[in-house]
Amino acid sequence: MSQIIQIKNITKEFKVLNRREGLKGSLKDLFSRDYKIVRAVDNISMNVEQGEIVGYLGSNGAGKSTTIKMMTGVLEPTSGEILIDGNIPYKNRAKNAQEIGVVFGQRSQLWWALPLIESFKILKDIYQISDSDYDSIMSLYQSLVDIEPLLHKPVRQMSLGQRTLSDILAAFLHNPKIVFLDEPTIGLDVSMKSKIRTLIHALNKEKNTTVILTTHDMGDVDALCRRIVIIDKGKMLYDNDIAHLKGFFGSYRTLKIRTDGDISEHSEQIRKKFPEFKVSADEEWISVLVDEEKEKVIDVLSTLQKTHKIRDMQLEEISTEDVVKKIYEEGVS
Amino acid sequence: MKSKGFRFYFRIYCKILAQDLKSKMSYRADFIISTIGMIFTNIAGFVSFWILFRNFPSINGWTYYEMLFLYGFSLISLTPVQCFFDNNWSLRIYVYSGDFIKYCFRPINLFFYYQSEVFDIKGLGQLAFGIGTLIYAWVKIGLAFTPLMILKMIVFLLTASLIMISMQNAAAATCFWIQNSFYVLDLVFRFKDYAKYPITIFNRLFRFVFTFVMPIAFIAYYPSLVILRPDEIPILSWISPLVGCLFFFLSYKFWMYGAMKYSGTGS
Repeated sequence: MSQIIQIKNITKEFKVLNRREGLKGSLKDLFSRDYKIVRAVDNISMNVEQGEIVGYLGSNGAGKSTTIKMMTGVLEPTSGEILIDGNIPYKNRAKNAQEIGVVFGQRSQLWWALPLIESFKILKDIYQISDSDYDSIMSLYQSLVDIEPLLHKPVRQMSLGQRTLSDILAAFLHNPKIVFLDEPTIGLDVSMKSKIRTLIHALNKEKNTTVILTTHDMGDVDALCRRIVIIDKGKMLYDNDIAHLKGFFGSYRTLKIRTDGDISEHSEQIRKKFPEFKVSADEEWISVLVDEEKEKVIDVLSTLQKTHKIRDMQLEEISTEDVVKKIYEEGVS
Repeated sequence: MKSKGFRFYFRIYCKILAQDLKSKMSYRADFIISTIGMIFTNIAGFVSFWILFRNFPSINGWTYYEMLFLYGFSLISLTPVQCFFDNNWSLRIYVYSGDFIKYCFRPINLFFYYQSEVFDIKGLGQLAFGIGTLIYAWVKIGLAFTPLMILKMIVFLLTASLIMISMQNAAAATCFWIQNSFYVLDLVFRFKDYAKYPITIFNRLFRFVFTFVMPIAFIAYYPSLVILRPDEIPILSWISPLVGCLFFFLSYKFWMYGAMKYSGTGS
């Protein structure tokens, strides 16, 4: 297998004006030369093979978007090298664009007023897709999703889920070598999320397309990625199999319950019952951080049910933010 | 990858245009109201022009019909910028919100792709009005309808359009550097109103400004001299096609330079 993405020690710095406070400060800023250098991406290297799905994680402002912009050719790195399928993306943006597809969760790239099928036809011309390739990808789409009702609907009339689905289909249309998906499932309901995950998985398998997925949803990562890369404050924290990471953090889940009666009293009782787990409470919910290697959540819940009247419950997976925070605090090798 | 020449872009533009028109027609009320609005704008413009000339039968040696010619000429030459480059008005919004980045991922010319997205049909009403005015003035002045004259006319109309497009491109592209470029665009858009007067009515300073700084004199005055005053054509008239091409090229480069250094907002 070939290395479709090769990134070597890239760094991106931005020059930011040091802003002063207040009106007087703003006036001074007009003439200020007081810049500071912000390093959005700091010495990142990675290689990605053709056909991989890589989860690219990090909290807001970690430098994910900046890295993606460098890979797509929108930004030029301050130093370091990027090769996308052998091309330097920012030097030949148009050529690079032919080989990649990009989807931003909240920003549709389709023509707002046009029905999807017309957008596809224009894209067919723009990417110079041959008739036979176009027909084959369309029949593949038809076998994967119920595309008929979407085709003749103007994009502006679509629901967010339909629009995201359409954007993903449009991004794969010209059979790109790499597709960048930036938070594709943001704001979607559970069934749409799973639909989109299935679609991405199927397209990756069928076309052997490399997928770079940024997300805050660990569900996306679980469903799709075998490898994840985590960055924080521009620095690479982690680049390895997801199983490896799970070994450290994946066994933790937060069980939240709501009970009748005095919360602080109840939480005290629960704390006594499960001394090995962290128990906390706010006005409504009692949270128990369960280590599933010690005891299954379901067992904890049934134990609790015997002694407390549980009105409501929630189960929270450990979030990307938590994982990143933990890695940052404890480190992973 | 096959080469992407003029035919490639022309095909794509026609496709987008056809689709865009189709979808615009589907908003029937919007379409009718904006058409009526356009007609009234034109009539109002014409009425104020007409009132002016009832009081001053000639301005600086320019007769009513010559002025009318200039007026029609400027209307026609402002049509392309209205029809094909109207998306420039939205540029600052796309840039400010970060949505501009979506234009950066296609393997075609960024400037073309951006401008192709909007075709403003309202410009067609202006075009019809301009052509009507021009032909009326042409007949009244008693100009000859020879192929050479018509060719000259077309060349200089194109020139004038290029100048207006260039000014708007350059003004719109300022949004890549400054937050609120609306004022720059609006300023340019307002100044174009002076295009329909002969530049000789202004004083020396403004003559210089309108020729070399903000070249609105090239929109109607210099080009129409070629048709109207064939005996006293200044050198600036003859070079105006070159000036048009040069300005367009420079404004395109300026626009693209801004677009390429655009880095988007966080998401």
